[in-house]
Amino acid sequence: MYLRNFGISILTAILLTISSFSYADETCMSPYMQKIVGQEDYVYVWTLGVEGLGDEQDKLVTIDVSPKSKTYGKVVSVLSVGGRNEAHHSGLSDDRHYLWAGGLDSNKIFIFDVATNPRKPSLSKVVIDFVEKTGGIVGPHTFYALPGRMMVSGLSNNKDNGGRTGLAEYNSKGEFIATHWLPTDGDLKGANKTGNFADGYGYDIRVQPRRNIMLTSSFTGWSNYMMDFGQMLQDGEAMKRFGNTMVLWDLHSRKPKKVFDVPGAPLEIRCAWGANNNYCFTTTALTSKIWLIYEDKSGEWQAKAVADIGDPSKVPLPVDISITSDDKGLWVDTFMDGKARLFDISDPHNPKQIFEEKIGSQVNMISQSWDGTRAYFSTSLLGSWDKTEDADEQWVKLYDWDQENLKLSHVWTVDFYKEKLGRAHQMRFGAYSLYSSKNSDEEKSVSMLDK
Amino acid sequence: MSKKIVSRSALYYLLCITSLLFISKLAISVDNEIIYSGPGDNKDGYESRDYVTKSLSINERKGEKTNLIKYAEQSQLGLPKLKIPKNNPITEKKIALGKKLFFDRRISLNNTMSCAMCHIPEQGFTNNEIRTAVGIEGRSNLRNAPTIINSAYYKFLFHDAREYSLENQVWQPVLKHSEMGMPSFGFTVKKLELIPGYKNLFNDAFPGEGINVATFSKAIASYERSLISANSNFDKWYFGKNDKAVSAEVKKGFEVFIGKGNCVSCHSIDNDHALFFDNKLHNTGVGYADSMGLLIKNNKTVVQLAPGEYVEVDNNIIKSVNQQKKKNDLGLYDITENPDHRWMFKTPSLRNISLTSPYMHNGVFSSLDDVINFYNDGGVQNELLSPKIKKLNLSKAEKINLKLFLESLVGENINILIADALFQTVGDLTKDDPNWANDKDMGYNK
Repeated sequence: MYLRNFGISILTAILLTISSFSYADETCMSPYMQKIVGQEDYVYVWTLGVEGLGDEQDKLVTIDVSPKSKTYGKVVSVLSVGGRNEAHHSGLSDDRHYLWAGGLDSNKIFIFDVATNPRKPSLSKVVIDFVEKTGGIVGPHTFYALPGRMMVSGLSNNKDNGGRTGLAEYNSKGEFIATHWLPTDGDLKGANKTGNFADGYGYDIRVQPRRNIMLTSSFTGWSNYMMDFGQMLQDGEAMKRFGNTMVLWDLHSRKPKKVFDVPGAPLEIRCAWGANNNYCFTTTALTSKIWLIYEDKSGEWQAKAVADIGDPSKVPLPVDISITSDDKGLWVDTFMDGKARLFDISDPHNPKQIFEEKIGSQVNMISQSWDGTRAYFSTSLLGSWDKTEDADEQWVKLYDWDQENLKLSHVWTVDFYKEKLGRAHQMRFGAYSLYSSKNSDEEKSVSMLDK
Repeated sequence: MSKKIVSRSALYYLLCITSLLFISKLAISVDNEIIYSGPGDNKDGYESRDYVTKSLSINERKGEKTNLIKYAEQSQLGLPKLKIPKNNPITEKKIALGKKLFFDRRISLNNTMSCAMCHIPEQGFTNNEIRTAVGIEGRSNLRNAPTIINSAYYKFLFHDAREYSLENQVWQPVLKHSEMGMPSFGFTVKKLELIPGYKNLFNDAFPGEGINVATFSKAIASYERSLISANSNFDKWYFGKNDKAVSAEVKKGFEVFIGKGNCVSCHSIDNDHALFFDNKLHNTGVGYADSMGLLIKNNKTVVQLAPGEYVEVDNNIIKSVNQQKKKNDLGLYDITENPDHRWMFKTPSLRNISLTSPYMHNGVFSSLDDVINFYNDGGVQNELLSPKIKKLNLSKAEKINLKLFLESLVGENINILIADALFQTVGDLTKDDPNWANDKDMGYNK
């Protein structure tokens, strides 16, 4: 009995210790996935090639972010993949051994081995027949790990290059399993169209397994996301082709249940972690609002706008968001003004902005460290949407975050143009702690200094 | 070509018809014929907060195959007999091969662009969703993608009339850096030889010739040449003498067209047919206005964010994300360098015009109303403005009737042409195709 109680106490202590961490970037990823506990060792940056710069092609850039390493804050590996694929998002496999990274234009999916040598990832497989296999989905965007599976959201289709699209389900080996089309008026697939819209558009994926729900959001099709941003803003027809919906799915059956009106291009989705927090957030890129998708007291899921982001009339263009592990904070990056904003979401129905700071002339992605004290920012939004001339800064920056005093302190910058790399987009973390038995002594020693 | 819906209950039909009748251009008609024409992602009414989606399922629209050669070989009411080049007699096999090539995205440097990416069948073989075409890697192009339908009748091709035959026209988008970006003739031919299936198809369509620069263009030109559409309601009335084929308003609109509006001076009509173009180029002022910045009314642009929701955005903000600085489009001048040819563009046909928005060479007008108002105002004044462009002083009723007349020019077989195109499988990269990532490269250093 004593041993049993002792065991329970130890377990409780471990759980309490873990729960005291601010999960940050880790909370943005699949709940089925392994978590990094402690200092992350590397940041993998999925980077867009730029004509006239270096080798001009997309690449996976590895930055050493272990503070006691001799190469701290430096690029330690560059893996070029051929072509400008419109590198965009990436996602780790459920075992975190592989990083799947997509090309929104080429439709190629590059699967990198980040476990064998986390300091120097290698290209394990390239999926080249995504469009053919899925029956016409274009623009592999989000790579979201489910047990033994990778769910991939599309942005477009090969028929009209517009926003109607679907989800593609792959197994962990990179083999196609099934296509799940987003519900449209022509085929709602049993879903309840709760408002005026059932556009069939796609973007992000998140799940709450304990509620057996999956959520998807909606952006725009190939014609728009590949088009010059300035040109598109002046094209009245093109501006009609943005998503205005989110879809609630039955996670297990992969069947859509409800289509919500969420006008103005709802993009990233982040779900709360608390045991009773049955809700997720998104932000609308064009209408600049935070939306809450939540289960009400009667057990029905609803969607409602709960806060403005900046001055919506100035179209700050909220892009990436990140929720804290205690479900009390939501970081929101706004591309046009280059700012990071922190909202207090203790009351999810009434978010309040408590902090903002300009990070650069443009900012897109944010990834916080496990313990919530570090925040990495990157710049690029889309190859044809980034700013021009002097405002086209391209970097990854690390900031320290002081939660008590609400203060961001700049630590270092890796200038992706100066390094002739390209445009820095999505960042994912790697750590030896996930695969310690597989490392060389030298590399492990670098890592172990932090442990 | 009607496609019968599987027998179901009367209630089901009632519900189907009730729920789908509101879908503009896309409704299932009462005789159960599926109407394919019109965007599957319909945005009619998006200007209003009351907008309701009418989106169609992509994978449910399978289309239906048709033997197209008859449209090239047989005359349709309203159009003259088509002249087939002696060096490229039209055959069913060439059309089928050309259609497959037209929809094959592998015929581009990065396997993402096909002819059909800009000439989308259900959107009148143009692109209703953007003003000017977006090419490979998102590169901007200056011009609106013209429709392929009836292009076989043009003496000149492209908005600036720089080509003279469909066969010659074919290669330009394929090799152009901002369109499909293939690096060379030879590389394209070699790639086709390595894509499984094409060798046999070319050998069948062109016995003894196989895949080469000429047969590639002849095949695609043959498909384009088969996309002929007339026998419209207007044709049935005007040439077919069926008085009930069009309404009284359409007839009044035609009177405006040939009279007060003087549209016919460029959009020609002959005794026994009507091409609705004159095979000439004109300066209407649209190009001039674009070059001189006259389309920008003030320092702000109204941008739509969502249904019924707009903001005014400072043009400096738009400029900050305008990466691809476009050159000015001087039209025929870019081909001849004759200063008198500045801002002259080819007269397009008006057949099927209601399906091919947006309008003008740069897609600046989203509706026929906008176009009619533009000409009613006398175009945009400039020293080279065509003397045919003058203020029209049309009444509201005259403008409405003129629009109704234009809408009566939709060809009778348009639905068949679109259904046939939708039936064609889109060519996308497979594991058997040449690609470095597939360990099936083009044979260099081997």
